Amino acid sequence: MTPVPPSASHLTSRHKTNWSEMWRSVLRLSGRWRFVLGIAGALFVWTAAFSPWASFAFGYPGKMTLSGFPGGARVYLLPLLLLVSLLFFTLPVGATAGVRAALGLLFIAGYNFIAISWEGDGVDAVAWGAWIALLGSLLLLWAFASFLWEEADGRSLSGQTAGHTAVKLPDPIWQMLLVFGGVPALLICFVYALDVEESSRFVSLICCLGAGSAALSSLGFFNWTSELLARQRTFAVILLLIAALVFPFTQDGNGYWLRVLISVGVFASAAIGLNIVVGLTGLLDLGYIAFFGIGAYVSALLSDADFTTVHVRVPFLLVLLIGATVAGLVGIFVGAPTLRLRGDYLAIVTLGFGEIFRITMNNWNGLTRGPNGIAGISDLEIPSLFGSTPLNFGDAHEVFGVSLPNFANYYFLCIFLFIGMAILFSRLGNSRIGRAWMAIREDEIAASSMGVNPVRFKLLSFALGASMAGAAGTVSAHVTQQVSPDSFTFMESILLLAAVVLGGMGTIPGALLGAGVFYLLPEKLRAFQDVRMLMFGAALIIMMRYRPEGLIPNRRRKAEFREEKSRFSAGFLKGTGELDLMQQNPVQEGGT
Amino acid sequence: MEQFAQQFVNGVVLGAMYGLIALGYTMVYGIIQLWNFAHGEIFMVGAFGGLAVWTALPESLAENAFLALPLIFTAAVFTATFTAVLVERVAYRPLRSSPRITALITAIGVSIVLQESVRLFYPDGKRPQSFPGLVAEGNFSIGDVRIPWVSLFIVIVAFFAMLLLQAFVHATKTGKAMRAVSQDPDTARLMGIDVNRIIMVTFAVGAILAALAGVLQGMKFRQIDFHMGFLAGLKAFTAAVLGGIGNITGAVLGGLLLGITEVMATQYIPQGSAWKDVWAFIVLIVVLVFRPTGLLGEDVSVRA
Repeated sequence: MTPVPPSASHLTSRHKTNWSEMWRSVLRLSGRWRFVLGIAGALFVWTAAFSPWASFAFGYPGKMTLSGFPGGARVYLLPLLLLVSLLFFTLPVGATAGVRAALGLLFIAGYNFIAISWEGDGVDAVAWGAWIALLGSLLLLWAFASFLWEEADGRSLSGQTAGHTAVKLPDPIWQMLLVFGGVPALLICFVYALDVEESSRFVSLICCLGAGSAALSSLGFFNWTSELLARQRTFAVILLLIAALVFPFTQDGNGYWLRVLISVGVFASAAIGLNIVVGLTGLLDLGYIAFFGIGAYVSALLSDADFTTVHVRVPFLLVLLIGATVAGLVGIFVGAPTLRLRGDYLAIVTLGFGEIFRITMNNWNGLTRGPNGIAGISDLEIPSLFGSTPLNFGDAHEVFGVSLPNFANYYFLCIFLFIGMAILFSRLGNSRIGRAWMAIREDEIAASSMGVNPVRFKLLSFALGASMAGAAGTVSAHVTQQVSPDSFTFMESILLLAAVVLGGMGTIPGALLGAGVFYLLPEKLRAFQDVRMLMFGAALIIMMRYRPEGLIPNRRRKAEFREEKSRFSAGFLKGTGELDLMQQNPVQEGGT
Repeated sequence: MEQFAQQFVNGVVLGAMYGLIALGYTMVYGIIQLWNFAHGEIFMVGAFGGLAVWTALPESLAENAFLALPLIFTAAVFTATFTAVLVERVAYRPLRSSPRITALITAIGVSIVLQESVRLFYPDGKRPQSFPGLVAEGNFSIGDVRIPWVSLFIVIVAFFAMLLLQAFVHATKTGKAMRAVSQDPDTARLMGIDVNRIIMVTFAVGAILAALAGVLQGMKFRQIDFHMGFLAGLKAFTAAVLGGIGNITGAVLGGLLLGITEVMATQYIPQGSAWKDVWAFIVLIVVLVFRPTGLLGEDVSVRA
């Protein structure tokens, strides 16, 4: 009789039945069956894409009752199916990717299944196509998952090298060509997604894109692309910029998407400012929207609006400066007393400040007209480069024979604002100041022993972030043409924070992506208006659990998050004896 | 003078409720240094749990305060505790070793999810729900000061809850373990304390107190809504900071002080009622500037 070696799993699962273990042993497949099930699943999904999903027509979009063509949401099964089929040849390395792609198929099938039976009053409305789509994706999931289990059991598999191998890139000329092809392809995807109207199709598209990129990321694809983009950054940025400048010319004088993109631009600019505070310096600011609001109110008061209490009109560039300065000064005023303290205190003080700001604006009838706010803010006017008449942002223009709606003016202004913020951010981030900020974020005591004055640098970061928000706010007041206290609630602060966190702390593309997700998705997901906040809260929790560094992480930041995880009880579970439940005083280590 | 005394009594009642909620913040903070942003929502969920059971009661039972009250309290405590323990297990525990900012953002997410769940899934949860008063209506008088019976009830319940908490923390083995974990979780683990269980117990105890406060708040104002946890939570956290975070007596003291300050400021400062919700934050900022450790707190400066 051989002694049983003690194993870690034996110790941890002493008290409870290990359910996942049980399921695995039931669902385990032998080698041949995996391929049989996998191929069967793929065939089922393929068939489903061309079969009717709804048994009678009741207004479900995409002609889902017809067979023979992949209309509606069904078409989004096909790219994922292609990916899955390719992944079959990369097994066992591609097992994780396969599971993710199969999950995407399952989500598409499941969402439409539920939606059809919901809108068609009962499962009767679901036709056989949707059933076999579900079945097929489950089979695929099963087949790929059984590869993963084998790996978990440690029996075979030498794969899973993704993320650890050095990234190999082609020649520079090929790199440029790839970027040259890739960036427009991405933008075409983006414009295509904007054009998808029905929520069933949009959700399916999101599932398709999300699962596809999750699958690719497990194969190390995004390490590769980020390396590529890092090498060819200038080129990629110029391409993106050209695309952004060309966009208004493709809109046929329609201002709808311009208006949406303007608000994305304004909020992305503010998010960059918040990114200095949260991403670079690691301070949590929960009242950030108040600084934005200060800028907006300054701008509203100094532009001689229809409903105002102050009748002066100051040139816009001056207003921009004044707004930024006032917000920055208030930032110093709020930050100076609290930045000496622990991080959480800053969080609650900024939160309190945000509320104080809102309530003050609500009550100061003499200046801000209270809850009514200041409405009828006039359009911007700046001295024209070409003639003596000033350029009025309210006018539509014709450029190169294409008529541009008046929103295009603000759109271009927002692009300039964003670029300005981005340059400021990246120049600061790569300077001595930026390094000091990051040092404080990573270890304040170590930083201060290296000669960094934490209070001064934190204050600088906080005030700069505040003045950037103020600058963004001055623009925003003109775009929305009115300001009122309701626009500056706590939820708005959280939304901005979430944009920074989701996009990736400490990066510019992250801020843009985060702002884009939070201000574009609600436009597209109107069917989910009611559960929007619920999904948003859940997204925050899930994000923090599985990818705290955000979608497009800063490299250093990512390393930091991952390193903390490996330590046993670093982070916030650290004994400090602060629960003063005892009558005696606990011995404290190294307080100041 | 009568006005002052009257307002003082009102302040104590308000403060007792703040104190009950603040205890949950202070205990959780003392043990895992987490500002449990969702604690205000636990308070709200507790109130809704109590209301749900009361709504389901047959009429004969619902009118009888002696039978209905214990049922409502039990239901509220049960709902809140269940929610808090679930949240701890699902959302916070996996993040034990993450940076604090991660945990705090998660807590904000939890808070939003709880609020929205009640708003969407409680029957007609989008609108404020009326809450039964149950305790006899009317007042009794001491001199010219009139005190509603509900207020007396609130103060009594809060007082006994706090007394029980002190007994629990100081006289039971679990309470001792809590104190040990708050001092040094690693060493506590070496001494055979199940740290995860103690953290869970801490969340549960905080939730029980918050649930009591939720029902009391409902009985006093006769109305609850899904949003009520937000401001109450913020003010209670302020109270905990005011008293010295991590300090149980401090939380109660801070709650009372904050309640009295708020009521007095609203009464005696011109136009005070429009600024009702500002005073708490002003108190907070003043405290943090002049005595960042709170009234009874230890050293709270930055520590590595």
